[in-house]
Amino acid sequence: MTAKKIYLTEDEMPRQWYNILADIKMNPPLGPDGNPVGPDALSAIFPMNLIEQEVSSQRWIDIPEEVLGVLKIWRPSPLVRATALEKALGTPAKIYFKNESVSPPGSHKPNTAIPQAYYNKVAGTKRITTETGAGQWGSALSFACNQFGLECLVFMVRVSFDQKPYRKSMMEAWNGKCLASPTSDTQAGRDALAKDPNTPGSLGIAISEAIEAAVSDKSGSTKYSLGSVLNHVMLHQTIIGLEAKKQFEKIGEYPDIVIGCAGGGSNFAGIAFPYVLDKINGKQIEIYPVEPAACPTLTKAPFVYDHGDTSKYTPLLPMHSLGHAFVPPPFHAGGLRYHGMAPTVSQLAVEGLITPKSVTQLQAYKAGVILTRTEGIIPAPETNHALACVIDEANKAKEEGKEKVILFNWSGHGLIDLSAYDRYFAGELKDFELTDAEMEESEKIFASHPKPQMLKSR
Amino acid sequence: MDKSRDSLDRHCPRLGGTIFFEYCRTCGDEDQPCWKIADCWWEVFDIMSYLRENLTATQLNQLLEKKEQPQPKVTSLIDLIEQARLRS
Repeated sequence: MTAKKIYLTEDEMPRQWYNILADIKMNPPLGPDGNPVGPDALSAIFPMNLIEQEVSSQRWIDIPEEVLGVLKIWRPSPLVRATALEKALGTPAKIYFKNESVSPPGSHKPNTAIPQAYYNKVAGTKRITTETGAGQWGSALSFACNQFGLECLVFMVRVSFDQKPYRKSMMEAWNGKCLASPTSDTQAGRDALAKDPNTPGSLGIAISEAIEAAVSDKSGSTKYSLGSVLNHVMLHQTIIGLEAKKQFEKIGEYPDIVIGCAGGGSNFAGIAFPYVLDKINGKQIEIYPVEPAACPTLTKAPFVYDHGDTSKYTPLLPMHSLGHAFVPPPFHAGGLRYHGMAPTVSQLAVEGLITPKSVTQLQAYKAGVILTRTEGIIPAPETNHALACVIDEANKAKEEGKEKVILFNWSGHGLIDLSAYDRYFAGELKDFELTDAEMEESEKIFASHPKPQMLKSR
Repeated sequence: MDKSRDSLDRHCPRLGGTIFFEYCRTCGDEDQPCWKIADCWWEVFDIMSYLRENLTATQLNQLLEKKEQPQPKVTSLIDLIEQARLRS
């Protein structure tokens, strides 16, 4: 009988994280003055041991025993063979996923929350502040702080706070304090409330509040924590891919394709970076970060002569275009976009070590429901983007008749995000289509442009 | 600003929850739109025309600039630390 789950024992857990900064060259981050940022610049909000990790270029970094001890609550996470999905798709591909939804808060986030809480504890921090959107990171950090006896103060964007009361309950269950941002506890919050007492808040305000709460504690015992983007966050997440490699070794397999959704980059980095190292060392492997599709360039767009820029400086070129006025060039950039993405992930894309993919929201939810109805776990909405790519690759393998091994990261469950599925089930999500009236309006701009011929070479 | 689309909703990839369009058009700096607004809403309606009609050229350029030439996270953190120090 084919094994459904491949486990590691606790003794087999990786003892070191993989630091990709040892293997890629990065431009140093610059401060507001234009000069490279020194470690001290961040010492107001991060303990020095984490700042050292942030700038370290040491390839392997030991995982402290105390951190392993807490990670063992749910790690090693199982590597699961998605046999039901394979059967449903009729694909010869072997599909595996790392199930990160098994952590207490239900996502990959505590993989970094735990070490961050630990290093803060060692450095003498008493309280950690952070911001959270829908509460996934706030939950993870509350859980982690509780494990190490630290206070946790979470500024949750009000619009989410009001929508997701159970997230606040989760944080409080782990002894975290969750406030609806903006609050009257910080000057940043008071300023926002003075401007609009009914403001729904924003991530920008919540971050400002969390940082102010850390900086204004003159005792230095309050620090701030971030759950994505930064190098040390990516580092801590590599335990996912490192475990996967050991699990594949146990069954004599190796993935042909590795897939992860790429929001801030941390769950993608977690599954992918250890395989990027193999690729750098000559392994044949495809690695795909997946994120929501940007504006369309081909589908639904008329084939016309159009300027490539909003200023109409470039010559008229034959292209599928929704009009230079409809989508200016910056929005045409398909695939992985770099704002908000971890610099290390962006750099790997630039170097061609990973290949960005994008899917529409309808494709993503459709895939999420297929996985729900085959493998049984309801995915977090963000995870769905990776799932759409997995299904696409599995179908390609079917067309090619190839028994490819596909690995993806099931970064979290969606049990507290079910409203996100409501619109899908209500049929309210649609692939983008211009109405005739919109199309007509959009095409008006081309009225004075010459019409290209639809030429075919063969 | 045109508020006729304010009641449209969708999942926000930054917050991780459902939000109304009203939030997207006001949650950026200085009550300006979120830098992801075009990528989130192009599947629903002609967001670029909307932005062109409702933002000044300077505001639209600032939005595009933020998207295409984002401030590195570390730089923005240092900026926020400085702002927090000035406030407290």
